Amino acid sequence: MPPMAFKIPEFSLLEKYGIGLIPYATAKTEDGAAKAAKRLGYPVALKVVSPQIVHKTDFGAVKIDIKDERRLRHAYEDIMENVRRRKVKGVLVQKMARKGVELIIGGKLDPQFGHMIVLGMGGVYVEVFRDVSARLCPIEKEDVHEMVMELRSHPLLTGVRGMKPISIAKLETLTAKVCRMMVKENLKELDLNPVVFDAKGYDIVDVRFSK
Amino acid sequence: MRRDLKNLKYVFGPRSVAVIGASEKPTKLGNVILKNFVDGKFAGKIYPVNPKHESLLGLKCYPSITKVPGKVDLAIFAVPAHAVPKIAAQCGRKGVRGAVVLSAGFGEVGNRKLEEELKKAVQKYNIAMIGPNCLGVMNPLKKVDSIFFPFYKFERPPPGDISFVTQSGGVGTCVADLASHYGIGISKFISYGNGASIDEADLIEYLSEDKETKQILLYIEGTRDGRKLMEAMMRANLKKPVIVLKAGRTEGASEAAKSHTGKLAGSYLAYQAAFRQSKVIEVEGLSELFHVVNAFSQPMPKGKRVAVLTNGGGLGVLTADSLEASGLELAKLSAKTKRAVVSTLPKGWTAGNPIDLIADATSEDYYKAVRALVDDEGVDSIIVIILFQAPALDSRVLNVLLGASDERRKPIFVVAVGGDYTEENRKVLDSHGIPTYDSPAYAASSLKRFTDYALSMRKTKKKG
Repeated sequence: MPPMAFKIPEFSLLEKYGIGLIPYATAKTEDGAAKAAKRLGYPVALKVVSPQIVHKTDFGAVKIDIKDERRLRHAYEDIMENVRRRKVKGVLVQKMARKGVELIIGGKLDPQFGHMIVLGMGGVYVEVFRDVSARLCPIEKEDVHEMVMELRSHPLLTGVRGMKPISIAKLETLTAKVCRMMVKENLKELDLNPVVFDAKGYDIVDVRFSK
Repeated sequence: MRRDLKNLKYVFGPRSVAVIGASEKPTKLGNVILKNFVDGKFAGKIYPVNPKHESLLGLKCYPSITKVPGKVDLAIFAVPAHAVPKIAAQCGRKGVRGAVVLSAGFGEVGNRKLEEELKKAVQKYNIAMIGPNCLGVMNPLKKVDSIFFPFYKFERPPPGDISFVTQSGGVGTCVADLASHYGIGISKFISYGNGASIDEADLIEYLSEDKETKQILLYIEGTRDGRKLMEAMMRANLKKPVIVLKAGRTEGASEAAKSHTGKLAGSYLAYQAAFRQSKVIEVEGLSELFHVVNAFSQPMPKGKRVAVLTNGGGLGVLTADSLEASGLELAKLSAKTKRAVVSTLPKGWTAGNPIDLIADATSEDYYKAVRALVDDEGVDSIIVIILFQAPALDSRVLNVLLGASDERRKPIFVVAVGGDYTEENRKVLDSHGIPTYDSPAYAASSLKRFTDYALSMRKTKKKG
């Protein structure tokens, strides 16, 4: 494992439930970030970690597809310039996610029905298409299949025009783990977004939750 | 089953009924309900209760429930809310088994303490209570009727095997009135109002065990206990179809939510999830409710292969389009079926699917084709299109369909589009349990819902 300058509580919680994120490391300095990136292997993404910044992209605090150390150091300086006057904990270095379908896997505590899990088209499209399906926790394999088929965009998941279908088996285990975590931790809201899926598996890029 | 739920049988089939708050004024609930039982020819004993009267509608009137001489199975409350809990306790001590509380003024106006008091009183004596704040119950077979809408404005549906649980009395009335209009029979109608002691999940559980109920309809706006509702629906739906209409589907998600999921997932998404997980049939409006209810009265199909029979080519094609779009398949006809069909056609014509009997088809031609399709192992369901307008056709075609439908071997759906004459013929079929549709698309989508249910039940039963 690459060095961790500090922990990200959201990531640690997922790891506790065996939900692996895309390989990452944290650093507090430019040198630390460079070292981490070298261990992870380029290309990487660099993101600020700050309690004061929720929408990192809006601050210019996210740089993606960084191909070498020179560009990494440059990106680091850029980000720090953009977020100066903000409290900064450090940076997150992540391997770049695979190419694939961006999904959101979310959870919610409903006042009448308890914990539910939500599947939808993720990334920047989340609130554009609002294409989601849901089930109440716990769920069975059959439910996962139905959730996929209920999405208007399901051909993107089940294969269209030479695109291979995503790994439904991996989606099944992931959603089952997410349900377990939702219930055990009694989470109010959860976003795994985006989760990039292809035929072999997935990369969880970001997570947000509230208790 | 909870003891008060077992006592629901006295609500739906009481040997005696007391109307508490019976009145002589025709505009009062207490008068309409008493009349329902008297004019409706309820076979058991009827006891009006009201200290202000000696007699009402020719019946002796009693000053209080405790003064009623005989046993009382069901008490119907049409008195102001504040008086209800005390009288309910008196009922309990007298051994009354069921209560319908029409009175409003409880939890729905913030009067939770009074509702709690009432709940405690009935639960202490295991009284099965419907309400408060509701229209109550109707069982056409037993002439039980607490609906305070007069007969001349709302003709009651005939006895049947569909039971309807409704949170709204108004929607419930419209549905029951339409059912009566279409000749669709009702077993139990329950407007449960606040559901203080017995809620929608309890009623679904009771109806799932009720031998007279073949389908359960639910109209719901909101529930207090979603998990309980889901489990009740799931269990009931394995025994008989549960058809649900949920109001408040467009209610927005909370914009204040912090996460994307919170913003995307409004309260309806949770209901939808519960409906899908319990495999119940969700409909989107009142017309679809009737389309589906009629469909589900047919014997269950064994597969997706549909034969379409018509005396009008165009409607046949429209129906084939709708079937394909819905995900059902056009059946391949057996050689025997083809021979039977060809025998009705002029020389040179062939039999395909849709089967076009052409505009000169007679009732006999329909008979031959329908017979062949019922016997054809490659056909799971039959859609019969009838242009009643055609000159060669007479009303005997109705008998052909009724005869085939009575065998209950496979579902038969009818599509008939037209004006008053067509409507009259459709009504005959509807009232005999053959679903009719005035559009191919409705027939196809209803058959799809029915086929999905039938196939998912086959799968579940194989697993279990």
